[in-house]
Amino acid sequence: MDCLRIVSPGLGASVQDPGRVGWKRLGVPPGGSMDSHASGWANRLVGNPEDAPLLELLLQGVEFEVLAPCRIAVTGADAGAEIPCWYSRDFAAGQRLRFPKNRAGLWTYVAVAGGFVADRLLGSASVYPRGGIGRTLAAGDVLACGAMADRIPQTAGAWAWWAERRNYLNPPLIRLWPGPQWEAFDERERQAFFQAEWEVSSRSDRVGYRLEGARLNPPEGAMISEPVLVGSIQVPPNGQPIVTMRDGPTVGGYPKVALVDEDSLPWLVQCRPGGRFQFVLVGDGDAAKVGIG
Amino acid sequence: MQWTPYGPKAVLIRFGVDGDAIATSARARAIAAASKNDAPRAVAELTIAFDQVLVEFRNAEAFADAVPEILDWLGTLDPVPEDQATRHEIPVAYDGEDLEEVAERHGLSVGDVIARHAAASYEVAMLGFSPGFPYLNGLDQSLWTPRRAVPRAVIRAGAIAIGGSHAGIYSVASPGGWNVIGHTTVRIFDPARRNPDGDEAGMFLLRTGDRVRFVPLS
Repeated sequence: MDCLRIVSPGLGASVQDPGRVGWKRLGVPPGGSMDSHASGWANRLVGNPEDAPLLELLLQGVEFEVLAPCRIAVTGADAGAEIPCWYSRDFAAGQRLRFPKNRAGLWTYVAVAGGFVADRLLGSASVYPRGGIGRTLAAGDVLACGAMADRIPQTAGAWAWWAERRNYLNPPLIRLWPGPQWEAFDERERQAFFQAEWEVSSRSDRVGYRLEGARLNPPEGAMISEPVLVGSIQVPPNGQPIVTMRDGPTVGGYPKVALVDEDSLPWLVQCRPGGRFQFVLVGDGDAAKVGIG
Repeated sequence: MQWTPYGPKAVLIRFGVDGDAIATSARARAIAAASKNDAPRAVAELTIAFDQVLVEFRNAEAFADAVPEILDWLGTLDPVPEDQATRHEIPVAYDGEDLEEVAERHGLSVGDVIARHAAASYEVAMLGFSPGFPYLNGLDQSLWTPRRAVPRAVIRAGAIAIGGSHAGIYSVASPGGWNVIGHTTVRIFDPARRNPDGDEAGMFLLRTGDRVRFVPLS
């Protein structure tokens, strides 16, 4: 059933799901929703399984026309839509759903009960235009949704529990694991790394986030390329760290000082340029929490 | 085999044999050929690059038991010698936008560059950068060329290129800094292609450890 028409794709809209597993050995990155916390909640609020395809919107400007009665959830970055973030609600044919003005965060998720119907390649509906897999949405595109799950309650909608809604303007400490080259970095560089206040550069996307805040001296000497995990913080020769994101290359030749913990990554991906945050090593952060409590 | 933890649910394992590129390649081919289904159940993802393999586990709880298990498993794989490697011939039109610059840089004629590039036998040392993009070992040392200072915004799929000591083939249209010396119509990565049994792995032409030769089109 056709359910949404794209009136405007705004700054960017694409179909995503949790991503693909098992193809990195052939050079295909995992892809998938940047903020797995928010995308998980979007599907949950309309009774979908967590791997149902949904829409990921960047910042603002997207506008949809609803073509048939459907239940829609909006989570993640608040872009001033007709329904509040972290809620689902029923829509009637002819209604508009607009995301005019970003207020917090970067990525907004839109799920529809029944899930969006999307082609799956290599086990996932996530589009990865840089890799020749699918394309982002364009004005005029029509999206269909599957049948609504029976277990949707006969209420007008649902909302996420308060503790699960996130204020992306105030991120917690971002937790890190030591990276494979952690030991190769000078002790002073590691200290500077944790003392600095960081922000995300505007030259950031689904491939990687550049960080600004301090310049780190990478270890001397070139290294041979090696496999890279999503969330790795690489330090190129110019000293400006880059966090590998979900569409980032599967291999790389820069030393990796640290790896962002997978529970912290959804916070980091929602940091807008200008917003400040700090890092903490996993063990140290746990100790600090005990100390404060 | 040396291993390093890479976060709470992955390890980087160095399978390479020091100073023995032939033995290292034979092991890489063995790991590449071992399908996901043959790996221990705890393994979600295997990524090979040169002399290392990244093993990602399905969850952090599996870590402690899974590391010895995966090391044992890697030890059981029989090395695949070079004469059993899959071979590919890639026809090339040597019409790349950087061909003359590469020749000038090395004090060679364009004909020399073509002859030396096409004379070598290459090995896929790693797939990455974009789906199915091969980093090829075996480039004639007289053709080693640093990446361009300013990357091009778009290099088209099928571009035959040189990046440092490696030869490569662009698998999709993408930005890139390698020096483009030619083009092929062979699709290194084709999202519409399948194996005869319908397997999506057919999208990818090359595997780690495969051998490649370039054949000039006249």
